[in-house]
Formats: sequence, C-alpha cells, structure tokens
Amino acid sequence: MTNVTAGKPKIVPITGAGACAQAMRQINPDVVAAFPITPSTQVVEDFSAFVANGLVDTEFVTVESEHSAMSACIGASAAGGRVMTATSSAGMAYMWELLYVAASMRQPVLMTLVNRALTGPINIHCDHSDSMGARDAGWIQLYSETNQEAYDNLVMAARIAEHPDVRLPLMVCQDGFITSHSIQTMQLEDDKAVRAFVGPHKPYHSILDTDKPVTWGALDLQDYYIEHKRGQEQGMRNALRVIQEVSDDFAKTFGRQYGLFEDYRLEDADIVLVALNSAAGEIKEVIDEMRSKGEKVGLLKIRSFRPFPYVEIGQALSSAKIVTVLDRSASFGAHGPLFTEISTAVYNYSPNQPLLLAHTFGLGGRELTLRHIEHIISESRICLDKGEVGNRQGLWVNVRGDKL
Amino acid sequence: MSTLKNWQDLPYGGVIVEAGSAAKYETGTWRTWKPVTHREHCSHCLKCWEYCPEDAIILEDGRDSSGAARKFVKEVNYFHCKGCGLCVRECPVNKDGKFVALGFVRDEV
Repeated sequence: MTNVTAGKPKIVPITGAGACAQAMRQINPDVVAAFPITPSTQVVEDFSAFVANGLVDTEFVTVESEHSAMSACIGASAAGGRVMTATSSAGMAYMWELLYVAASMRQPVLMTLVNRALTGPINIHCDHSDSMGARDAGWIQLYSETNQEAYDNLVMAARIAEHPDVRLPLMVCQDGFITSHSIQTMQLEDDKAVRAFVGPHKPYHSILDTDKPVTWGALDLQDYYIEHKRGQEQGMRNALRVIQEVSDDFAKTFGRQYGLFEDYRLEDADIVLVALNSAAGEIKEVIDEMRSKGEKVGLLKIRSFRPFPYVEIGQALSSAKIVTVLDRSASFGAHGPLFTEISTAVYNYSPNQPLLLAHTFGLGGRELTLRHIEHIISESRICLDKGEVGNRQGLWVNVRGDKL
Repeated sequence: MSTLKNWQDLPYGGVIVEAGSAAKYETGTWRTWKPVTHREHCSHCLKCWEYCPEDAIILEDGRDSSGAARKFVKEVNYFHCKGCGLCVRECPVNKDGKFVALGFVRDEV
C-alpha cells in the first residue's frame, strides 16, 4: 500500500465531490474508469491527481465516453478488481445499457453519482431525474444529505456491494453543486482505519484465473434468464440486512450511526415530510422552528432508496396523520417515484392510513427555501384539518404560475 | 425429470464456470428445416463442414482413390444442427444443379 497515513481523524473543510475523491483515495481501488461530466468532474479530477502523484495504486483508465467507462468498469470487475467510477446526468444516461449489465452480471462496481437534471432543455444543476430513471437498473442507491454522509456512504459502499449475499453495484448519490461544490467541514477518517474497515477485495470467478476458465456475459434465454433475475432480486433483498450490518459496524468503528433512513423528530409528529439528499438539511431547520411554535412536524429522510425498506418505513410512519412527499424528479403522467414508494409502504405496512400528499420541487436546481418549506407544512396542516388533500395533490413547488 | 437448476443453485450473474459447456446445449430444438445428406452424390469437398456455424457436420476417416488418408462427410449431428441451411446453399454439387447432395426438408415436429 502506498502513502498511508496513520493517525487521528481530521476535521477538514471540503466539497462533497472532494470528499468522495478522498474516500476513493483511501479505498485505493484496483481500477477507476471515468469520463468527466459536470458536476461530478471534481471527483475524477482530484482522483486523477492522486494517481499522478502516486498516492494510490489504481489503474486509471481514461475513456472516450461514459458508455466505455462503465464497460471498462464491468470488465475490470469481472477480471477480479475493486472498481470505482463517478458520473452525473447525461453521463449516466449514456451508461444506461451498461448499468443493467453491471447489475445483472453481479459486478459490485462503486459509483459516486452527483445528481443533475437530465437534458431537455439543457441544464447542469441538481435534481434527481438521473438516479430515479436508473432506479430499476439493479443498483443499490444510497442518498447523502451532507458531504460527511457522501463520504461515509462511499466508505461503507465496498463492504455492502461486495458482500457475498449481495454482489451488486452501488451508487452513492449527492446533490449536484448544492453538495458537490459546497465546502462543509467534515471528519476525514484516518487512511489506515478506512482501509482496515473496507478490507481486501475477494474476486468472484475472475476471468484472469486461467486455471479455472469461465465465461461472463453469455446468451441467456427462456430456460435460465428469469432464474438469474430472481437471484439478482435476492441480492437486493439481502442488501437491506447487509446495509444495516455494515452501518452498525461503521458506527462502532467511526462513531456515526446510520440506518436505512433517518427519522428526525418523527415519534410524535402529525405532519411528516419525506425527502432525499440536501433538502433534508433545510427541512430540519424549518422543523425546529415550527416545533418551537407548537406544530408537530417531523422528517423521514431516505438513505436507501434501492433496496427500499417498505416494512421499516411503514412502521416509522405508523402514527403520522399526513405524509407530504417531496420529489426532486418528475415521472410525467404519474406521481414522483419517492411518493409512489412511500404510498406502497404506508398502504401495506403501516397500521394506520395517513393522508398522502405529493409535491414535486427543485427541478433543474430551482431553489427550495425555508419559506417554501414553511408553506408546504402550513398547506399540509390545512389538508390535515380538512381531512383531505383535494386539489393540492400533485402540486409543484416554487413554479411561477402555480400557487404553492 | 428436468435437469434445469433452481435459481438458488446457480452461480451469480450467469457466469459459466465450466469450459466448453456450449456443446451440451441442444440448439437442434431451434430447427424447422433440416439438411439431409445424399452420400451417393456427395463429392466430399467438405464445404458444408467448413461453413457450418455449429460444427454439426460429422466427418469420418477414409482413403481416396490413390489410397491417401482423408476425411469424408459422414452425417449431420441433429443435436447441434439448428437448420440454418448454410451447408445446403454452399454445397457445390447442389449449385451445379444435376444432383442434390444435401437436401433441405421440413423437419418433423
């Protein structure tokens, strides 16, 4: 191992993208293949400097496109390496076919996804249309509110993805610019401690093992395809347990405890907001303010969107009276993907049936201010008092021409 | 009794851990038409063997008129022959038009 520092964790000011690059340096993967795209560029830019300066042993493959980047990742993973990459938006869209290949070949490729709007009209700012579009590709998706969470999730990623009961690719999502380019202070753990926590990579039927030749990616027809898919689904179901196990071990090692989701002042909340990533920070701020005025409001922040912890979330929402879900992506002609999952969890696994209110916000980086969140909570209160959400269902937030 | 395995018994990701296992796959079930050899007209040029994408033309050892060792066309391996008809089309005897060395007939269902 090259250049490993041994010592205490450090409090550092760092961007979300920089934090993930640091996690990659500490993990020291065998192969990184990536193509730069805003706003994930700094992840690869920083990491390429670590390669150039000899701080890692990684084979860094500069490719001509994201399609090639993911192809190289899959090949390197099938060859038995620990493999990482980073991308955003259109870059991930260009990986689309290979996202499915990575998951169905059970290659535990690790990705930093910096969430950015998909084009049309072209936009470089944050929303979750990229990762939400890829939600059925078979990747584990962990979301991160802060730089610290993005870093911690990436440190935990290898052990979750490479677990023998899981063997699936994993993406750690953070909000473009809001998180990726904002400097926050966070605890950067000691290199040695991170490497010890992550541990060595164990190859699975490596194509470089010439004593035991194997074929990856063969044609799979009506007689076996669905059995392989069923196995893939089992990996995802097992991931719910493994994510929690690894998170508990992370808490023992580094002191920060994570669950499949975070419940913030939820226990006696009548009004519960549900959100992903950075918006949770502002929502917590408003919750504290409104709690001091007597409004019983709480937040459920999803960390693991794939696999989705239906049972646990249904239980967590068992005493809520209205659940207002804030989707940062649109599924045109349907409610947002987060709302539909929450509805499924509440309908099937919650002993009571709260009102459910769907809102879409923040597409293309449109801001969600404290004022907007206050307004959403007041509107939720009105719905709750009336006993119905009525024509507020499906409203978009902070859009000129709509009221909310 | 089915020899197909349950999902729990499969290695991950469709990886094939046994070399050369494609030979066990019965591509013959795909066939709707089948080539039939007429050895009395066959010139044993081996073009069919050369073109066959499934290696389904079986050869046998023999000797030519001068007594030298050479290969002769024996039969079609219907376990692997998927009925593409390439052998029938490339057969020089068929092309010549006087005889049919490789017929192509509707396969029995």
